[in-house]
Amino acid sequence: MSPSQQPTSTNPSSLKNQFAHRFIRALKTLNHTKTGAAHDHNQMYRRSIRVKIASYTAMASVVGSRRAWSRAVLWKIIKRSRNQGLLLRKRKRRNPNPKREDFNPFRNSGQELKLRKLVPGAETMDSWCLMGETADYIKCLVAQVEVMKTLVDLYSIT
Amino acid sequence: MSTRRSRSTQSASRISDDQINDLVSKLQQLLPEIRTHRSDKVSASKVLQETCNYIRSLHRDIDSLSDRLAELLENADPTQASVIRSLLMQ
Repeated sequence: MSPSQQPTSTNPSSLKNQFAHRFIRALKTLNHTKTGAAHDHNQMYRRSIRVKIASYTAMASVVGSRRAWSRAVLWKIIKRSRNQGLLLRKRKRRNPNPKREDFNPFRNSGQELKLRKLVPGAETMDSWCLMGETADYIKCLVAQVEVMKTLVDLYSIT
Repeated sequence: MSTRRSRSTQSASRISDDQINDLVSKLQQLLPEIRTHRSDKVSASKVLQETCNYIRSLHRDIDSLSDRLAELLENADPTQASVIRSLLMQ
């Protein structure tokens, strides 16, 4: 869709611009679909969940299929939108390659397992890929937070 | 099949020390706290721990920012969104 699908994933300002573009578009859609009902607590909660999902989706779609974590996020979103009416519980995915966890250069499986739970799609990666994915994920999260802070500032002035 | 696996684990253990330390130091660069100390000998487990904490705090930031944005969007004028977008594009 957007013509600026730059291969340089390391440029932080272009990442922020692309993310801001998609995120704001998603927010406009959210705004139009609101019913203008009473400000009850439950509705606010649901709106904030939708904003959060829009934020993660926008960032993952900017990164696209280049990274395993973004693919995992997008896949999760697609699955969730498919299962919307069925109320399926998220099933714990068994590790298809249990032998892989033997390759553990850090030898401190506690920390690494915690990391695997935090980075999307990281359960079945080997430690090598995990490090690269974590670094990219952190860069994108930081960009996401910066853009959202800017938006909050802008919206609260006016 | 088994030979390929044993070969891959052998080669993996051969590259483990240098390049893993390289990766760990790269990860270290991204973390806000450890970066300021600039000590070479930060253990890998400390880096992993700080990474986990940092990712969790970023997630919390995103949660709270989503809450604020949801509140602010309630009162936002739809034309403001296009103004903001044009501001951000510059």
